[in-house]
Amino acid sequence: MTNLILILILNIALAYGGGGQSEEAGGCLDCHGQKGESLRFQDGSRKEVFVNPEEWAQSVHGGILTCTDCHRDISDVPHGPKKIPDARDYTLQQSNTCQRCHYAYFTRMLDGIHYEVLKSGVREAPTCVDCHGSHNIKSPKTLRAALNGRCGSCHNQVFETYKKSVHGKLFMAGNNEDVPVCTDCHGAHAIENPNKSKFHLNSYQICAKCHADEDKMKRYGLNPNVLTTYLEDFHGASTKVYAAEARDPKRPIATCTDCHGIHDIVSFKGGIARQNILKACQRCHAQVPAAFTDSWLSHYRPSLDKYPAVWVVKWAYRILIPLIILGLVLHILLHLWRLGTRR
Amino acid sequence: MTAKVKIRQRQDGTFEVERFTPLRRIEHLMVILTFVILVLTGFPQKFYDTSWAAWALNMCGGLDSARLIHRVSGLIFSFHLFAHLAGIAIGTLAHKLTLSLLPTTRDIRDVFATLGYYLGKRSTAPAYPKFDYRQKFEYIGIVLGGLVMVFTGLMLLYPGIVAAILPGQFIAAAKVAHTNEAMLAFLVLLIWHVYGSHFSPEVFPMDKTIFTGYITKEELKHRHTLEFARLFPEESLD
Repeated sequence: MTNLILILILNIALAYGGGGQSEEAGGCLDCHGQKGESLRFQDGSRKEVFVNPEEWAQSVHGGILTCTDCHRDISDVPHGPKKIPDARDYTLQQSNTCQRCHYAYFTRMLDGIHYEVLKSGVREAPTCVDCHGSHNIKSPKTLRAALNGRCGSCHNQVFETYKKSVHGKLFMAGNNEDVPVCTDCHGAHAIENPNKSKFHLNSYQICAKCHADEDKMKRYGLNPNVLTTYLEDFHGASTKVYAAEARDPKRPIATCTDCHGIHDIVSFKGGIARQNILKACQRCHAQVPAAFTDSWLSHYRPSLDKYPAVWVVKWAYRILIPLIILGLVLHILLHLWRLGTRR
Repeated sequence: MTAKVKIRQRQDGTFEVERFTPLRRIEHLMVILTFVILVLTGFPQKFYDTSWAAWALNMCGGLDSARLIHRVSGLIFSFHLFAHLAGIAIGTLAHKLTLSLLPTTRDIRDVFATLGYYLGKRSTAPAYPKFDYRQKFEYIGIVLGGLVMVFTGLMLLYPGIVAAILPGQFIAAAKVAHTNEAMLAFLVLLIWHVYGSHFSPEVFPMDKTIFTGYITKEELKHRHTLEFARLFPEESLD
């Protein structure tokens, strides 16, 4: 028992005392804290083994982990020779080490498109350290701005398009918390393949996270009923059913992105939408005339001055159905009353 | 003028009169079949957000198959409706058919007389013709409602063609009409038809006339007195 408590105290001292930890890391940093040393791989390439002591101390792990927590295979000084094909190979080998603490995120990452690509043999596909960094890891919660850049370092074409979009412009203008960055739509670890039809079908829910939020939409003078009006339409209802089904639909069906775009979303205020919509319709409904576009009510609820035909039909039935049914029920009740009491 | 009416004797000695020809009996079976299929494949689309709708669509083999079944049975219903109306038009022009289901001013008088009887202002119900106003209401309802369903259904099936002739918002209006008219038809059937043909004390548990085609003379005399008088003038004197 005394031993256990001693170990506990020692651990706490190591973690928070700083002294013990820095001594340990300092042992490694005696060599690795100075520039100049490098590692030669089997393919002949070299990589510097310098770790910036300041960066490490400021990183999210600084003061919590020691070098050998991740570099577990190193125990002797000087280190024995190792056969590592190249730097990328070493990075990929090392990525398993994150799993020991960040098990849930690591496992979700295994479901993601990046890991799928990596598994297929593309070694450039990102693993943990490619997005988070290694010795300089910062808390991902503080890094909304940097996040987009991280994705953009590989997906640069998409990032350039995003920057010009209505979301990107607002974001670049000052880290606006309301507009989405890459991960808000795509997720971070279990990133889905966006080319799959299921992603397309479910995408309306991603948009709805913000666009069905009344407070958020009010701030920008946007219509908060876009989701409900979409779901009331034939396409929205179909999408919702298809998304819930196990099987894929026979033909793709229009979701938000098919009219509004994806990374290139621009504001639809001021009539641009009506100009573009015919082309969007014709992608599935070949050669339909321009009048066809008015079958979609542009997220408006039918009213007497906008879409009067729809409004009239809607209200005719709203009045007619209860009246007819009430009349029939009354007729039946009167009949039964007569038969029952006044025969 | 009057077509000869078929009469047959039952085993208990009573007589039955033919009320529906075999063609009309088959037509009624057709309507049952298409109506049930259309409701089963249509209502899950209307109430797509419910769990029973998901179950029903899955039973059909998914939304795509449910829509295919709905459209095929809708087209069968459409052909049936047009064939039925064409038959009536031709039959009327050839003087082989009387429009016994067409509402007349007598029916309006019958409505008030019947309600007066229900409320105790009259001691007897009025004498009804071959089809009383309740039956005419239902028949006219399914023909007119059917026409609405057929036309709006076709508009939704071929929106591109509609847009070449009509403003685009008519397609959206057709969807509103289709779904609401379906609801109205379903409710009328559920309340009016099920009461009139099953739960009404006069016919409980079931009026089998539309299936057998025959009605007993006794029932005809009681429920369609004018028709009885027309067919059996000498017997209706007493």
